[in-house]
Amino acid sequence: MALPIPLWDEPLAQAAVWSAVTIGFYVVAKRLYRWRPVPWLMPLLVTPAALILVALALHVSYRDYIRGTGWLIGLLGPATVAFALPIYEQRAVIRRHWPVLAVGMLAGSTTAFLTGWALSTLLGLDGALRLSLLPRSISTPFAMTVSGEIGGIPDLTAVFVVVTGVLGAVFGELLLAWLPVRTALARGALFGVGAHGAGTAKALEIGREEGSIAGLVMVLVGLLNVLAAPAIAHYLGS
Amino acid sequence: MLSAHFPRSRTFRDSRILQVGLIGLFWLAGEALVRLTGLPLPGGIVGMAIVLLLLASHRLNPGSMRRGAEWLLAEMLLFFVPAVLALMNHREFLGLLGLKILAVIAGGTLAVMAVTALTVELFYRWRSKHGAADTLVG
Repeated sequence: MALPIPLWDEPLAQAAVWSAVTIGFYVVAKRLYRWRPVPWLMPLLVTPAALILVALALHVSYRDYIRGTGWLIGLLGPATVAFALPIYEQRAVIRRHWPVLAVGMLAGSTTAFLTGWALSTLLGLDGALRLSLLPRSISTPFAMTVSGEIGGIPDLTAVFVVVTGVLGAVFGELLLAWLPVRTALARGALFGVGAHGAGTAKALEIGREEGSIAGLVMVLVGLLNVLAAPAIAHYLGS
Repeated sequence: MLSAHFPRSRTFRDSRILQVGLIGLFWLAGEALVRLTGLPLPGGIVGMAIVLLLLASHRLNPGSMRRGAEWLLAEMLLFFVPAVLALMNHREFLGLLGLKILAVIAGGTLAVMAVTALTVELFYRWRSKHGAADTLVG
């Protein structure tokens, strides 16, 4: 789509414009959320929604958009590496509580796969769509890897991961109000296993300790899923 | 190999951009290793493992990557955003199908959170009672 902007047809110019617009919207959405922290104003919801509206209005396709902004998704690679720091700093917690965390992550991941499979089947969703729904609870770089491995569509899984994050941040806070969980370990694990990065951000709002445990658990459960993926794929027969 | 307190320079300690660059290099190393060995893991995970090993063996100082790492983690949501626009290729999700998917995700997420939190809480209490975990976290 040709816009009345000079050099618009240059791929580099398009990339620069879309990257700037994406980052700009994100910065504004973050301010908005700080000003009014309500669930439907979460940056993870507002930013893509606004971008989709702009792209639709300008008749820009996803392919054209992602060609210019794919490098931002690429930064998830370094972000994954960055998790080494919180894990390293939580080594005392890991050493002391690893059996509890391991059992919690195993129970949570099993629940994620079983409920994803059962609810999808119940509602008549099957094939690659159902498989793409299974790894939705873990962080995107892990989830996309697992999705590809078990026969899902990584792009779709990335979308489901985001939806999970938004819903999970809201649900988590509600659940904490009436579940009898009092330890930071359990409260953090709830967010880390259930709603990856968005959940971790919410856990940080609730408490420092909850936040760091959520961050730690999010990485560990992602790793657990990636390591288990070949076995799951084998079991699913894909 | 890197020295015990790599890197020493103060500029590096204070520069977020340099630190993000350093983390990016570890990521590239992870990617390269995955390509060379055919490991079934994302390059980022391998890069993270390398950094963890260097931190644990005191070859890398946490301070030399703290600002960069904290920035990458704090802005991680931005890196998800472009992926969500894949929705534009799936107009079929605008109807009943989208609601079904939403129901699967909502129901599944509630179950995952409740099961995880209760499992951790109960197992933690059981272990404390049996003297394995002496102090309470939180």
